[in-house]
Amino acid sequence: MAYVATRGGARAIEQAERLYREELGTIDAGRVQGLRDALPWLIDRVMGEASLYDADLAALALAQSGGDLYEAVLLLRAWRTTQPRLAIAAPVLQEDLFTHRRISAAFKDIPGGQILGPTLDYAHRLLATDVLGGADFVPVPVEPAPCAAPSQQPSLAAWQKTMGLVADPPRVDVAGDDIPDVTRQPLLFPAARAHSLQSLARADTGGVLALGYAAMRGYGNAHPTVNELRLAEAEVMVRHPSGVSFSAGRVKVSQAEVTSKGKSGQLELGFCATFGWNEVKVIAGATLDLNAPGAEKGSAVEEEFVLYHTEPVESSGFCIHFKLPHYVTFQSALDAMRGAAVTELAKDEVTV
Amino acid sequence: MFDRGTGEDPSTFLTVLARAEPGRIKAMAERVLPELGAVEVLASRTGLVMLPLRDTVKGVDFFLGEVLVAEARIAAAGTEGYGMVTGRDLEQAMAMAVLDAARSLGLPGVAEFVRDEAAVQAASDDARLRRVEATRVDMETF
Repeated sequence: MAYVATRGGARAIEQAERLYREELGTIDAGRVQGLRDALPWLIDRVMGEASLYDADLAALALAQSGGDLYEAVLLLRAWRTTQPRLAIAAPVLQEDLFTHRRISAAFKDIPGGQILGPTLDYAHRLLATDVLGGADFVPVPVEPAPCAAPSQQPSLAAWQKTMGLVADPPRVDVAGDDIPDVTRQPLLFPAARAHSLQSLARADTGGVLALGYAAMRGYGNAHPTVNELRLAEAEVMVRHPSGVSFSAGRVKVSQAEVTSKGKSGQLELGFCATFGWNEVKVIAGATLDLNAPGAEKGSAVEEEFVLYHTEPVESSGFCIHFKLPHYVTFQSALDAMRGAAVTELAKDEVTV
Repeated sequence: MFDRGTGEDPSTFLTVLARAEPGRIKAMAERVLPELGAVEVLASRTGLVMLPLRDTVKGVDFFLGEVLVAEARIAAAGTEGYGMVTGRDLEQAMAMAVLDAARSLGLPGVAEFVRDEAAVQAASDDARLRRVEATRVDMETF
């Protein structure tokens, strides 16, 4: 690839940016707050892909980018680099999650029961066009149960392990400082599982869905059934200087396990989790995790293929860089074409 | 982990403070501040906390991402106070640090404040979980 320095576009560039921002209008705190309140699922998606949890910043990024998700994620990833790393929280365990939704498509009678939580899974998808005519859409209020649901729900995978339905590999405790981190280390293959799951957690939702869907349609090794899907809040457990552990607050998380019958006679599980509530991403991501072992090189479910092609900033950045001037490389290609044509013509003349 | 009790043990005390309603904790800190005398701010900043999560399949800890937090640390009246809250509200973190210092000095009103906040948080969780419980599937009629 070749680049060449040019000049003469400074005014056009400045005015182009002004035109973009002029069309978005004034961004004030009210607009940001309005986006945050009205679009929680989009805010969640942006926080997950940015790998930065703060709803206000995600709403601001959306306001500033006019809703261009890749621009919003880029803004947040760039802003994140201005912040120091203060601490590493204690690992979040599934059984400690403050659970709002927890279902299984594989087992009807799971310990703790099936809790649908907030979902449109069984709702009619009707556009409320009356709103445009001036009639407000007022949601019907929930009728709370007399007793509260347990805040924590047991782990289905843990139950399956005790029943011998899935493998229970011995785990090794790793100190927080020693957890592999793709923001500080290169992603190498075969990837450490911690790198792989972290990459999926911050991956592009659309990219993960496209590849996960390919696996579901048969371009993978295993067909998934949702073993467990959970939407929850996790406590961010940090340490006071005195050594006392406490929660600095809660963050929304999603996690999914998908399962398939393995060759060993046990069930195999795939796993994915992310910041925010994003069911499509974690189900598709868990499907990719399930399909990765033994995947053919270059296939849609092979780890390297998946992780390299679902990184939102790298993939969108590489895509849009093609619209930037490539005059030298393109001119070189044209010269080669013309040269080939001349050579071909000369051969024809000799033949005649 | 979610039963806040009365907020009397140090971990619960700090957890309740971190989740306290920002307006109320700031107002409480303003009331306590004169009792502390001269306050030296040792740290007041935003930053990131890495959040690991344990994979349920192989038990591997991995980073889910980074959480933006505000952190404050103060020295006053021969003790220190510390606050860390999710988000970027430095005043909220400072208010937590003030109340943390006030607690170690045994200043009046702090324990009551935390007890009241714990009750508010427990009520909020209960209200949410009763709404969640309403979505439980009765398999007999599934």
